[in-house]
Amino acid sequence: MDPMAAYALRRLLWAVPVLWAVATITFFLMHAVPGGPFTQDKALPPAVNDALNRRYHLDKPVWEQYGLYLWDSVHGDLGLSFQGDRSVTEIIRNTFFVTAQLGVLGFLVAVVIGMTLGTMSALNHNGPLDYVGVAFSTIGASVPSFIMGAFLVIFFAVDLGWFKTLGWGGPRHLTGLLDPFAWDWRRMVLPVVAISTLPTAFIARITRASVLEVLNQDYIRTARAKGLAEVRVVLRHTIKNAMIPVLTLMGPIFANLVAGSFIIETMFSIPGLGRELVNAVIRRDYAMIMGTTLFFTLIITLANLAVDLAYAVVDPRIRYR
Amino acid sequence: MNVRNRWILLLAAPMAVALTLAAACGGTSSTDKTATAAAGGAGTTPTSTQTGGLPADAAPASQQKITMQSTEPQFYDPHRSNFEQDIAVERMLFRGLYNLTDDGSGGVKVVPGDAAGPPTISGNVYTVKLKSGLKWSDGKALTAADYVYGFQRECDPTVASPYQYVLGAGLGDLKGCDELFNNKDATKTQALKDALGVKALDASTLEFTLNRPVATFETIWSLWATFPSRQDVIQKFGDKWTDPGNIVVNGPFTMSELVPKDHVTLKPNPEWSGQKPAIQQLTIKFIDDLSAALKSFQTGELQMTAIQPTDVKVVKGDPSLSSELVIDPTARITAIEMQLKDPALAKFDVRLALSRAIDRKTLVDVVFDGVYTPATYWVVKGLKGFQGNSAFDSTIGFDKAAAQAAMASAGYPNGQGFPTLKLTLTDTPSNRNLADFLIKQWKDNLGITVTPDFVDGKTRSQRFNSGNFQLFPGGWQLDYPDIENPLVGLFDTGGGNNKYNCSDPAIDAAFKEATNATTEAARIAAYQKVETLVVTKLCGVAPIYQNAVPYLVNAKVGGVVPNGTIDASGPGTYCVECWYVKK
Amino acid sequence: MAADSTGAAALAGAFEAEPALGRPRGLWSDAWRRLRKNRLAMFGLAALVVIALVAFVGAHVEPFGRYAPNEQNYSAGARQAGPSSAHWFGTDQLGRDLFARVLEGVRISVEIGLGTQVIVLIIGLLVGGSAALGGRFFDNLLMRVTDITYAFPDLLAIILVRSVLVDRTWPVVTNPRVLIILAIALVSWTTVARLIRGQMLSLAERDFVLAARALGAPRWRIVFQHMLPNTLSPVIVAVTFGVPTAIFAEAALAFIGLGIPPPAASLGTLVSQGYAYIENNVWNVIFPAAAVALLMLCFTFVGDGLRDALDPRTR
Repeated sequence: MDPMAAYALRRLLWAVPVLWAVATITFFLMHAVPGGPFTQDKALPPAVNDALNRRYHLDKPVWEQYGLYLWDSVHGDLGLSFQGDRSVTEIIRNTFFVTAQLGVLGFLVAVVIGMTLGTMSALNHNGPLDYVGVAFSTIGASVPSFIMGAFLVIFFAVDLGWFKTLGWGGPRHLTGLLDPFAWDWRRMVLPVVAISTLPTAFIARITRASVLEVLNQDYIRTARAKGLAEVRVVLRHTIKNAMIPVLTLMGPIFANLVAGSFIIETMFSIPGLGRELVNAVIRRDYAMIMGTTLFFTLIITLANLAVDLAYAVVDPRIRYR
Repeated sequence: MNVRNRWILLLAAPMAVALTLAAACGGTSSTDKTATAAAGGAGTTPTSTQTGGLPADAAPASQQKITMQSTEPQFYDPHRSNFEQDIAVERMLFRGLYNLTDDGSGGVKVVPGDAAGPPTISGNVYTVKLKSGLKWSDGKALTAADYVYGFQRECDPTVASPYQYVLGAGLGDLKGCDELFNNKDATKTQALKDALGVKALDASTLEFTLNRPVATFETIWSLWATFPSRQDVIQKFGDKWTDPGNIVVNGPFTMSELVPKDHVTLKPNPEWSGQKPAIQQLTIKFIDDLSAALKSFQTGELQMTAIQPTDVKVVKGDPSLSSELVIDPTARITAIEMQLKDPALAKFDVRLALSRAIDRKTLVDVVFDGVYTPATYWVVKGLKGFQGNSAFDSTIGFDKAAAQAAMASAGYPNGQGFPTLKLTLTDTPSNRNLADFLIKQWKDNLGITVTPDFVDGKTRSQRFNSGNFQLFPGGWQLDYPDIENPLVGLFDTGGGNNKYNCSDPAIDAAFKEATNATTEAARIAAYQKVETLVVTKLCGVAPIYQNAVPYLVNAKVGGVVPNGTIDASGPGTYCVECWYVKK
Repeated sequence: MAADSTGAAALAGAFEAEPALGRPRGLWSDAWRRLRKNRLAMFGLAALVVIALVAFVGAHVEPFGRYAPNEQNYSAGARQAGPSSAHWFGTDQLGRDLFARVLEGVRISVEIGLGTQVIVLIIGLLVGGSAALGGRFFDNLLMRVTDITYAFPDLLAIILVRSVLVDRTWPVVTNPRVLIILAIALVSWTTVARLIRGQMLSLAERDFVLAARALGAPRWRIVFQHMLPNTLSPVIVAVTFGVPTAIFAEAALAFIGLGIPPPAASLGTLVSQGYAYIENNVWNVIFPAAAVALLMLCFTFVGDGLRDALDPRTR
C-alpha cells in the first residue's frame, strides 16, 4: 500500500481509541461535576426527582450508565437531549449544518482576503500597501470577535439598517443549498465578517511572511536576475512555494471556525452547534455533552490528519512514523 | 500558543446564557397595572368577552404578524413542563378549566376557561361542568374524558411531570395522585389510575375527589399541569406528539412550524371557540442573549422582547424606545437566604445585623437602575394578603446604628471576632455588581468580611439544596398566585423546600392555624401571621427586592393585557388572543 | 490571539519539520543582537515594561493610584461616567474608577498569562522530555496522552476541571486565580510538549550531541548542557505567544461566568462586564478591550522578534 494511505489509515484507526478515551474521561468527569440535569434552586420534590431519574435511566449506577452509553453509541444511538427529548444525533446534524455554513463562508472570506492582503503586503514590502496590510492584520488579530460583532451590529444594523441581526440567512436543509431563495444575505454578512476577521488577519500575516521568505530565496533571485517579468516570477515561483505554510494551517483554522463559533452564534441568535456545547455543559445535558464532545473530537482529529497529510503533500521531506 | 486555545475565545459566551438557564422555573412576569397601562403599545384593554370582530384600529389580516423573543421551551407538553417559557407557549396552545387573569388592581383573579362556571362543592367532591361546543384543533369534540386522561398523565410516574406535586399532598390534594405517582409496580398502575379522584360523569361533567377541601381549587386547576390531553394522539405519536403536524390543541393558537434551537411559529386555531385571535402568525424566536435581542428590536426584527434591567436606563433615554417600555414586576422576591445551622447565622442578632446593614433603596438604584423594587416583605405585591414594606421596614429594614447595635449584642462589637462568611452566586455582570455592593455594605456598616463564592448555576443550586451555604442571594418564584405558595414547605419544620433549617414553634403553629382555617379571611390572616413571623425572626430569609422584567413592545402592537402576578415569560402572554397589530 | 495561537502552531510545525540549526556557541548573544535591531520587538518590550511599571508599581503612586480599584461612589453622575480629568477612563456601574480597575485587570491578567505559561512549560518539559528520552514505550504512551488531551474540546475540559476542582476538599485549590491558571494550563500544554519532544529527538541525532556522547559525557549532562538550551529557543517563542492567548482564554471564561470572582477583575472580566453595559457607557468596554489588544500587540511583537532572532532562517 502507498505509505501515505497506510499512514492515513493508521491515523484513522487511532481515532477510535482516542474517541473512546475522550468518551470515558468526559463521562466520569461530567458525573463528578456537582449538580445534575434536574438540579434547580427550587428543588423538585424527591418523588418527582426519582420519577425523572427513572425515566432517563439516571437511577442506575454510573458505571452501568457508562456501559449503556458505550453500547448505544457504538450502535449509532447518541441518546436523547434533556432539552425536549430530541435525539442528539438529529440536533448535531441540524445545528452543525448551520455552523458549517457559517464556518465555510468565514473560511472562504478569510482565505481570499487574507491571502490577497498578505501577498500584496509582501510584494509592496515596506511600502504604503504593506503598512496598511500589517496594520490590519495586527489590529484585526487583537480585537475579540464579540467586540467586533457588537460594534458591527450597532453601526451597520441598528444605525444604518443595512443588515439584519437575527438568525441565520442560509438554508436549513441540504436541498436548500442550491435554492437561491433559501439564502438571505442580509442575515449573513455581519456574522461572517465578525467570525472571519481574526483568521483573515492571521492568514494575511502568515502569507506575508512566507511570500517574503520565498522572495528572498536564491532561486527567486536567480529568476529575477535572468530577467523574467516580475509578475511571472511571482506567479510561477513565489505564490506556489509561499502557500506551503499557509496551506498546512488551513486545517486548524477551518476546524476552529466550524467548531468554535459559540460567541457569534449567540450574538446573532444563530442555531448552531457551538452554543449547544456550552449550553449542554451549563444544563448538565449529559447525552448532549457526550455527543457534542465526541463530534468535536472527531472534527479536531480529522482536521489534524488533514493538516499532516497536506504537509506531507506539499513538503515531501516529511517522513511518517 | 496552542492552536486550540483559540477555541476558548471563539466559544466564549455573552453572559446571559448562564443566567437564563439557571432561572429554572424562576423568572419572569407578573403584573403591575400602572406600569403596563403607562406603556405605549400595551395600554389598550380589550374586552375579553368580545368574540370575533377586531378593534377599530387593527391593521388588515395580512399584516397581523408578530415576532417575539423567548428562551427556548424545553417541552410543548403541559404535563412535562417546568419552565416559564414552556408554560407561556403552552397557554397559547392549550387552555384548562380555569384561567388566570389580571384583576385590575395589580393582582390576579381566576375566571372560568373550559369550565362553565365555578365548581359545585360537596365536602371533598368538586363537580365541574364544561362549556358546550368545545373542540380540539382537529375538529373533534373536547370531552370530560380528555380531562380525565390529562390528570392521569399528570400523576403518571412514567410521564414524570415536574409539577405533579401541585396536585399532591398539601396543595391540590387530588385523591390517589401521589399514590399513582409513587407507584413502582407496573401491575398496579391501571388500578391506581382507575382509583384516581377524577371521573367523567358524562361528556361534559367532571367530578374531582380530593383528600380535603382545597381553598385554592380553582387557582390550581388553572395551571398547565391540569390541561387536557388527547389520548389517541399521544398513543399514536408517543413523545413526538407535540411536533407540528402531530399536535392537537384546544387553545387559541396551534403550532404550524417548529425549528428546534431557532423558532416556533403559531397560527390561529380555527376550532377555538373563544375570542378569535387577531394575530395570524406569531413567531417566537429563541434568543438567550438579551442585549442581542434589544438590537434586533431596534432594527425592527422583533416586536416584543425582554431586555436586561441594565438597559432600561438607555431605553428610557431614547425618545422612541421609551414609549415602548413595559416593566412587569415578577412574582419573585430576592432575599439573602441564610443557613441557620451555621454557628454565626444561628444567632438572631447576627441575621438582624446583616439585614439592617443593607441599604435596599440604594442597592436597587445602583445595581439595577431602579428597575426592581426594594423589599422587606416576602409575600409579593399582587397577592391577596400582601403586607408590604411598611409592615417590616422598621424591624429589619436599613438602619446602620441598629445594625451595629445588633452586631454588638451578638458579641461582635464593630465586627470584631466575626467569622468570614461566604456569599454564593453565579457569575453574571449584574451578580458581580450585586456581590460587590453587598460585601461593601457589610464591610462599611458592620466591619465584617464576606467573601464572594462564584460557581456555575447547577453547582449553586446543588449547594443550596444540600444546605451547603451561608449567605445565598436567592428567592422564591410563585408557582401559582396564592399567599400559601411562598410559605408552605419553606418555613415549616421539615418542609421540603426548607433548606434554611428554619424551625420555630410559633411559625409551625401559625401554619396549623392556616390549614384549619374555615374562612378565606382567616386563612389569609393566618398566612400573614406566618409571613410576619418569618420576616421579623429572619427565619432563613432577609428579603431585599422584588424582581421585575423590563420588556419592549412595539408601539404597533395592541391588546397586550397584563398577566397578573404569575409566571409568564412575556408581557401579556396569557391573553395572546387579545393581541393585534395596529394600523 | 487567534493569530498568535495559530501562529505558534505554525511555528511549532516549522520547528518540528525542520528543527533549528544547532548553534551551541553564542546563541543567546547572537539572538539578543538580532532582537535589539528589531524595532517592533523593542517597542513591544519597552511598552510591556512601561505597562508593567504602571500596573505593578504605579498603582501605589499618585496620580495612577488615586483610587482603589473597588472604591465605590453611588452619588449622582459618579456612575457610568465618561472619561474626565478625575477619572481618565470614566467610571462603572458602581461608580468605580475604570482606570484603577484596568490597572488591576492588567496585573491579574498578566499574572494569569504568565502563571499559565509557567505550568505549561513545566508540564511540557516533563512530558516532552520524558517522551523523547524515556524510550519507545514511554514515548508512545505519553504521546497518546498528548493526543487525547489535544483532541478533547478545551472549553469543556476547562469547565469540567474547574467544576470538579471547585467543590472538593481534595485537591485543595481554594484560590480562584490558581484554579483558573491550572484549568487553562491543563488544556494548553500539548503544543509545548510536542515541540520539546520533536526538538529533543532531532537534537539527539545532531553532531554535537553525538560528539559529546562519544566523549563519554554523562547522560544528564548531555541533556542539560547541550540539549535543553537548544530546545529552548522555539519554546520561548511559543511561551511568549502563549501569554496573551491565556489572557484571552481567561476573558472567554469570564464571559460564560467562569472567571475569577469579584471584587478583583481581570481584563477579560472587565470586558465582559463592559459588554453588558455597552449601551450605557461604551467606555466600559473600550478601555479594557484596548488594554487587552495592547497586551496582545506587545506580546505579538516580542514573540515575532524572538522568533526572528532565535531562528535566523525566517527574517
